[in-house]
Amino acid sequence: MLSNVTPSLRKKVTDLTDIELTDTDQGYTDSVQIQLSILILQIDQIDKMKADGWAPNLVAGHSLGVFAAAYAANVITAVDAIKVVALRAKEMQNAYPTGYGMGVIVGLLRKEVTGIVNENFDKRNPVYVSNQNSQLQVTVSGSIIGIKKILEQAKKRGAQKAKLLRVPVPSHSPLMRDVAKKLTTILGKIQLQDPTCIYLADYNGHATKSVERVTYDLGNNLVHPVYWDVMMDVAKEYLIDSSVEFSPGHVMTGLLKTKIPDMKTISMADMVLEDAEFLLNKWKNQEKR
Amino acid sequence: MSEIKSWTTHRDAKQQKLENAASLLDGKFAKTKDAKELLELLISSNDKVVLEGDNQKQASFLSKVLASVDPEKVHGLHMIMSSLSRPEHLDIFDLGIANKMDFSFAGPQSTRVSQMVADGTMQVGDIHTYLELYARLFVDLIPNVVLVAADKVDREGNLYTGNNTEETPVIVESAAFKDGIVIVQANEIVDKVPRVDIPSDWVDVVIPADEPYQLEPLFTRDPQNITELQILMGMMAIRGIYEKHNVQSVNHGVGFNTAAIELLLPTYGEQLGLKGKIVPNWEVNPTPTLIPAIESGWIKSIHSFGGEVGMEKYIAARPDIFFVGKDGSMRSNRAYGQMAGQYALDMFVGSTLQIDKYGNSSTVTNGRLSGFGGAPNMGSNPTGRRHSTPAWQSLRPDNDPLGKGQKLVVQMVETFGSNKKPVFVDHLDAEEVRKEAKLKNVPIMIYSEDTTHIVTEEGIAYLYKTDSMAERQAAIEAIAGVTPVGLRSDAKTLADLRARGIVALPEDLGVSRGQAKRSLLAAQTMDDLVEWSNGLYNPPAKFRSWS
Repeated sequence: MLSNVTPSLRKKVTDLTDIELTDTDQGYTDSVQIQLSILILQIDQIDKMKADGWAPNLVAGHSLGVFAAAYAANVITAVDAIKVVALRAKEMQNAYPTGYGMGVIVGLLRKEVTGIVNENFDKRNPVYVSNQNSQLQVTVSGSIIGIKKILEQAKKRGAQKAKLLRVPVPSHSPLMRDVAKKLTTILGKIQLQDPTCIYLADYNGHATKSVERVTYDLGNNLVHPVYWDVMMDVAKEYLIDSSVEFSPGHVMTGLLKTKIPDMKTISMADMVLEDAEFLLNKWKNQEKR
Repeated sequence: MSEIKSWTTHRDAKQQKLENAASLLDGKFAKTKDAKELLELLISSNDKVVLEGDNQKQASFLSKVLASVDPEKVHGLHMIMSSLSRPEHLDIFDLGIANKMDFSFAGPQSTRVSQMVADGTMQVGDIHTYLELYARLFVDLIPNVVLVAADKVDREGNLYTGNNTEETPVIVESAAFKDGIVIVQANEIVDKVPRVDIPSDWVDVVIPADEPYQLEPLFTRDPQNITELQILMGMMAIRGIYEKHNVQSVNHGVGFNTAAIELLLPTYGEQLGLKGKIVPNWEVNPTPTLIPAIESGWIKSIHSFGGEVGMEKYIAARPDIFFVGKDGSMRSNRAYGQMAGQYALDMFVGSTLQIDKYGNSSTVTNGRLSGFGGAPNMGSNPTGRRHSTPAWQSLRPDNDPLGKGQKLVVQMVETFGSNKKPVFVDHLDAEEVRKEAKLKNVPIMIYSEDTTHIVTEEGIAYLYKTDSMAERQAAIEAIAGVTPVGLRSDAKTLADLRARGIVALPEDLGVSRGQAKRSLLAAQTMDDLVEWSNGLYNPPAKFRSWS
């Protein structure tokens, strides 16, 4: 994953956090390794595009992606992003060593999932409705025992898919409050800047240009659902017509294409930088005509 | 004696503002680059400002300029807009240039509107139908400044607004005769306009725009996307409503259901021998799917709210059908169109996203404040109507000596929406949205009491024939398929409703499901429409799959 990443960036991680990024399958069973590696992979791709003169009109990051989004919008420096994400990853790992996680339900509306979760709420095995990835794709976060019950119910009510995710923490739920507190403290010590473009916040799906709101999102998105579906609706209303998804995945591009079929999309996981920039240039010239 | 009261304070204030801006004006004309400074001089904080923008035509140059003015100089504006369509319409609220909004439709910006209302950035005066909003321009929302768009302006300041005249006249009139300031963006300054749509006398300032105003081909439906289920519903509607009630005049909403009907008239309608007998007169935008019906002699007249991109040449060549000026281009008029649609039509046929068990329908969904367009005007029974037509009279109850007719208001929906969720529900999402957005009324598009027919793939419910809410609910359940509402229906009730003519299934109407094939459409592709038009229709780029 990191073979193309500028070596100095990788070294920066070790210097700042004492963590050596191994870039091996074995290493990627550790979520600190995963989060930091994804972060610097994204920072590296953003740096290379910025160096060639590209600047976004609007940024959005899903969960961990908020840091790359804030970096692309010049809110946070690479050094600070690495420090905060290192803490985030460690705290998430320590928060719920066993028994907690996330599930995904496809084919039900948020209000339908909310109904199931409310009817089945059990204090000993709490579950919360979390991310809204698309109109019919909702996640739930909490106790694995509780989630399994919800998934079963969801299938009974007509969900096309309902399964556990390979996520070992109940992210984007109130169960993450302690982690959010620690992140808020460290973010309070960092100098952050107003975004240089529109930033879409995970925690409420609103657009913002205020550093306070972005800071809140960086520190607290783990206790709120990610309103990705709403964020993409807002992006559409800003007449955004092309998108770049930074590695490692291309899931967001798929969701975007389903919502807005006319969107011109690039996913860096499937493309080298030169090809991505060729396409962006082509689209830019088409617009001029 | 007390001081002599001045009766010309508005006129004096307007004069003063124009004098302040005199150095930027050559007669009525300003330079493009001075637009921002001009708006800062001519608009005062807290003014009521109309910014032209409906669901098709947008004064996009002036909206961008308004979003660039200094909020220190201009703030707290009360905006009046029939449609919130562009990002900068909301940016002016983010920037504090405006804080209050009275509007009709916000479909293209409905998520941000909903968010801004929730966080208090935008205060909503009210949500209106088009006709109501225009009406209030002459009563309690009289504007201080109006910002509108013209295609061409001559050296005197006469405006040509052409095919897309739409709401420009009603907006300009509300300001021009009440000492408001009329500011026009122009695509082009010319020596002579093709015709005068707005006289120069009503215009104060003309600014050449940096690019032509935005225009959306909103009503174009590609026949390629019409399904056989929609064709079946179209056939049922033609037999069970158009023919049955002898409908002479109609408005079709935007949608594939009604596009299917338009394309079935020259084929299925012809087979039934209905040509010359139904729907000669239309109040509708010049939708390309009407071309085959026009060409085969079904349609005698069409008046339009607005234009439709690509139809200009075709319209110019068919002045017997459309309202066309001496210059050859169409004159649309949104206010008159709405008036005609409300008072002069036998029937409105529309579609919706949700219908509740009582028959109320709404296009509002959670998290979006989309408002209304013209459907509530057209989709309502105007109780002030006094003239009679056979269709209107056919709905008259026979047990009331003082009874009168009723407009036909038809909703055509498939029982499940594109997201596989039921269209028929116990409670509309709109009820939730009322609470979230703190609205006084639930944003219902068409009320049950006005809805006379519902058509689904199952059949037709003749709601006007029901004489209690329980019976109305039973009729809706009978055609609601396997939705939770529909599952409450049973065979015995259905048989009874059919026997009494309150519900009709395809077989009751003599409609054969097997005949509902795409080959029955008079045009199956955009290419076919171009051919029907003898090459006069010129589809916008996004509808051209063959080039």
